[in-house]
Amino acid sequence: MSLRELFHNTTLADRILFSLLIVLSLSGIAFIKEILSDNSTVHIYVDGHPAYILPLDKNRVVSVEGPQGKTVVEIKDHQVRIIESPCHNKLCIQTGWVRSGAVVCLPNRVVVTLGDPDKHKKTIDATTG
Amino acid sequence: MKSRQYVVDSKQVNTKRAVPASYLQSTVYCLLLLLSTLYCLLYACSCSPNKERIFKKDRILMDTLVAITVVSDSKDNAEKAIDAAFSEIEYLEKLSNHYSSDSEITRINRNAGISEVKVSYDILKLLDKALHVSENTEGAFDVTMGPVIALYDFHKKIRPDDGMIKKTLSLVNYREIIINRDRSTVLLKRKGMLIDLGGIAKGYAADKAAETLKKQGVRSGLVAVAGDIKAFGLKPDGKPWKIGIRNPESGDKEDDIMATIELKDMAISTSGDYERFFISGGKRYHHLLDPKTGLSAQECRSVSIITKEGAFTDAFATGIFILGPEQGVKVLDKLGFEGMIIDSQGKSHLTQGIRKKIEFKRTVS
Repeated sequence: MSLRELFHNTTLADRILFSLLIVLSLSGIAFIKEILSDNSTVHIYVDGHPAYILPLDKNRVVSVEGPQGKTVVEIKDHQVRIIESPCHNKLCIQTGWVRSGAVVCLPNRVVVTLGDPDKHKKTIDATTG
Repeated sequence: MKSRQYVVDSKQVNTKRAVPASYLQSTVYCLLLLLSTLYCLLYACSCSPNKERIFKKDRILMDTLVAITVVSDSKDNAEKAIDAAFSEIEYLEKLSNHYSSDSEITRINRNAGISEVKVSYDILKLLDKALHVSENTEGAFDVTMGPVIALYDFHKKIRPDDGMIKKTLSLVNYREIIINRDRSTVLLKRKGMLIDLGGIAKGYAADKAAETLKKQGVRSGLVAVAGDIKAFGLKPDGKPWKIGIRNPESGDKEDDIMATIELKDMAISTSGDYERFFISGGKRYHHLLDPKTGLSAQECRSVSIITKEGAFTDAFATGIFILGPEQGVKVLDKLGFEGMIIDSQGKSHLTQGIRKKIEFKRTVS
């Protein structure tokens, strides 16, 4: 059966239903893209400048060069941590794995944040304490 | 006959379809076109460049992470405003950082007991506000604690001996800061005195950054200088900014939230014994030092303060932590501030106003 024959064998209701399904599918794609893209990225900044934007679902190790030297960031199983740092107190390494928020190395001016800062679907806007 | 009948029926059916075919086809096409247009319109509206969105940038300033969030319909305008606010914080850091060799505070400290030092408007304002907090907390908040703070090293787990603390405490007295407003000068009465604005400068910086954002045309935003937060206006969804209050028992987990509160045109700060500390001999030594004893205050675990000015939330959070829960709630009531104090036993002490606004994530006694 050719496409033309198939088209001729459909009723008006079939065609309306078909077009509605197309519209719904397209809307669904746009909706899911908007909702799910929030917490799926890792942003690494050095001295206020973005160095990397990486997906959270891909395990990897990256290093960035700060004023004091190399800071190494590991992404694994939707978590992030700093594993190497030239800073003297190593507080950034002691922070360990994080699933949300940020890991910061103040001496080497490295900030690692989870989620897209432009998309605020999360419920809390800032934390005090 | 049956076969013939079938042919006739079939023809009848076909005839019924054939007659309105072009009409049906054009109806379907029109409907498809209409739906596609509607979809495109809806999508275009949701992505319209004029729709207000949230923009956020982070920077390390004042030795901490500063996050500025603004609501704007233009990315360029938002970034311009945020950068101006960062510049304001950078300027305040240069004035107030007592570790820097050329800040105004360093010059005051260097000339302690020698001569008065001419200072800028912001340092005068900061000191005025600091003295106001000292007077309202019976000196529990005191910016002249610099010499005692310098004796501790919380990273290296160093605490000075009692004799050294006692000797150094004699240099601590906020009443010996002499401010001459006419000449815009500051003098520390005795040599060896040191001003440390660490307990108020971040909150003040949040205020000034928010002011800068407003001057740049931003109607709604959030400035978080570490945990000193200033919120103004509403989010694009018309809701106030939602602030999480860290759980003092969470250890290193900075994202463990004890409660949330919604803020509009208000500031909030929290002081906790988990920020800079070490444990020695089963005792917790943290950075919130009592000006009367030179030792870490022991009555509270965390104090959150809410009022209009970030400089006050920052400084009162420290002062009330040191004063303790009972006196602390009295001071807050007297000043009309809102607050939550978690004492050393984990018990919460709340002002009347905050009870209706705060939402606890976990049970607090």
